[in-house]
Amino acid sequence: MMAPLVQVEQLEKRFGEVCALNRVSFEVEAGEWIAIMGPSGSGKTTLINILGGLDHPSGGRVVVDGRDISHLGERELTRYRSEKIGFVFQQFHLVPYLTAVENVMLAQYFHSITDEKDAAEALRHVGLGDRLSHVPAQLSGGEQQRVAIARALINHPKLILADEPTGNLDEANEVVILDLFRQLHLAGHTILVVTHSQVIGNLADRRVELEHGHLARISAPPAVLKD
Amino acid sequence: MFLRILWKLLGASRGRLLLALVALASGAAICSALLNVNLDAEKKLTQEFRTFGANVVIAPKAGDNAALADAGIMDRIAGLHIPQLVAAAPYLYIAANSGTQPVILAGTWFDQVAKMDSWWKVQGKWVSAKENRAECLVGQTAARQLGLSIGSSVELRSGGRNISLSVAGIVTTGGSEDNQILTWLDVAQGLAGFSGKVSLVQLSVSGRSSEIEGVTRQLAAALPGLDVRPVRQIAAAQGTILGRIRGLIFWTIALILILSMFGVLASMAALAMERSKDVGLMKALGGSVGKIMRLFLAEAGALGLLGGTIGFLVGVVLARWIGWRVFNVAISPHLEVLPITVALTVVVALAGALPLRFLGRVRPAEILRGE
Repeated sequence: MMAPLVQVEQLEKRFGEVCALNRVSFEVEAGEWIAIMGPSGSGKTTLINILGGLDHPSGGRVVVDGRDISHLGERELTRYRSEKIGFVFQQFHLVPYLTAVENVMLAQYFHSITDEKDAAEALRHVGLGDRLSHVPAQLSGGEQQRVAIARALINHPKLILADEPTGNLDEANEVVILDLFRQLHLAGHTILVVTHSQVIGNLADRRVELEHGHLARISAPPAVLKD
Repeated sequence: MFLRILWKLLGASRGRLLLALVALASGAAICSALLNVNLDAEKKLTQEFRTFGANVVIAPKAGDNAALADAGIMDRIAGLHIPQLVAAAPYLYIAANSGTQPVILAGTWFDQVAKMDSWWKVQGKWVSAKENRAECLVGQTAARQLGLSIGSSVELRSGGRNISLSVAGIVTTGGSEDNQILTWLDVAQGLAGFSGKVSLVQLSVSGRSSEIEGVTRQLAAALPGLDVRPVRQIAAAQGTILGRIRGLIFWTIALILILSMFGVLASMAALAMERSKDVGLMKALGGSVGKIMRLFLAEAGALGLLGGTIGFLVGVVLARWIGWRVFNVAISPHLEVLPITVALTVVVALAGALPLRFLGRVRPAEILRGE
């Protein structure tokens, strides 16, 4: 039997007196789509930051692809982020002075070597073949988020972490982005999405629900809603 | 990709980078101008110094029975073809009487004296043409003592011989010439009966102290029976002035570069604030601190290169202007100043980019959360 891709064990994170995560434990199998849900301030973003190697836990441990990342140094975490993780942020976070294709190539540059053809192909894959040389200011919110998804995928990460990926989008663009996530899931990618959206929650394989830093429940959406 | 991002970075914050570039180019321009001036100033100043009198003297050796040297040494000096030789004036000093009052008559070559001592203050006119054998310059003290004025004539007697000279001008030098009457060498030789003899030769030699020492050695070797010595006070004063000018230029350059660095620091500090979000994102994408900082330092270095090159070109124009204003000559551009200016400007740009190094401490989670 294969080990889970992600193991979160008794995870704790404190910011001074505030306990953002309190003994959270769960596992994610390779190829799963997990929705991390809960009200604001429940610790969702903190959890995803620790999984993405952007923050250190105060206690417990996180094992990703067989490696405990809880105590990695800054240099090892940087390498971990470039090799294992693909980020999609609510605010898109594209570099404003780089074109769409250059934003994708930036992730290649920090990973290893750049390949403009691959970067352009990744953008075509998300439907932006005609927007390669546009800077973010010339793209709509939905298009910017698709660039971010192409950037997250370009280095073939083990884990895609998305923080409210549709939070800044209108309904039409939300549908496009959700459809992309569904395709990624069908292609076998492991996805963890922080979301308030019940629609995403229903599309995911499982929902990890947090309340005040505690793991409230892990549930699977009813099959009828998922379909 | 490195150059591609670098190019985009340079275009991204044009306003702030332009300010930094102006600060760098201004500093580089003054640095380039002063370095160009410094390289030419020594030559120009040395030429200026050569109008302030002799700096090498040739005379019979002390204790030598022959108190006078053979005037043939002038031909031997000319035969050496010394390029640094500006002027060579022989002098014969004889004791004469004007009426009952004793006076020193100095015979010389006025055309050479005019080149060497152009600073002499002459009322009336110089004895310029060799045809004017009957003219003389009278030192101001001697003129007062002998009651002479411009246009008057003076009767001189020495060893039973007499001559009559017309006073062309009254000269003030602040030196021994103020007590003398100066006429053509052959006139003095004729009155004294020392045909073909001189007391000493004054030389004006251009160049640095080391070059003057070299010419002195060359002359001493060519004129074995004579004492050839540099006038130490003049050479030392010249060296001191040049040293002080060099020091002034060095410290001015240092000060200007430090001021430029503060200009760059101000722009870069603002830029660092502006760039913190980009750096947070780059780190989140797996960018190492080294790789990210290389980008920003290369940006500062490129600014330094550009600022240094622009500054060099502006400095060349500035140096020409300074040359005309201060030395009344054109300062020629020195290409060797280009790498020095560019290197100094790049160093200043990198030092000024110090605030960008704080970007290395940016925590991506905080930046991406918008803290």
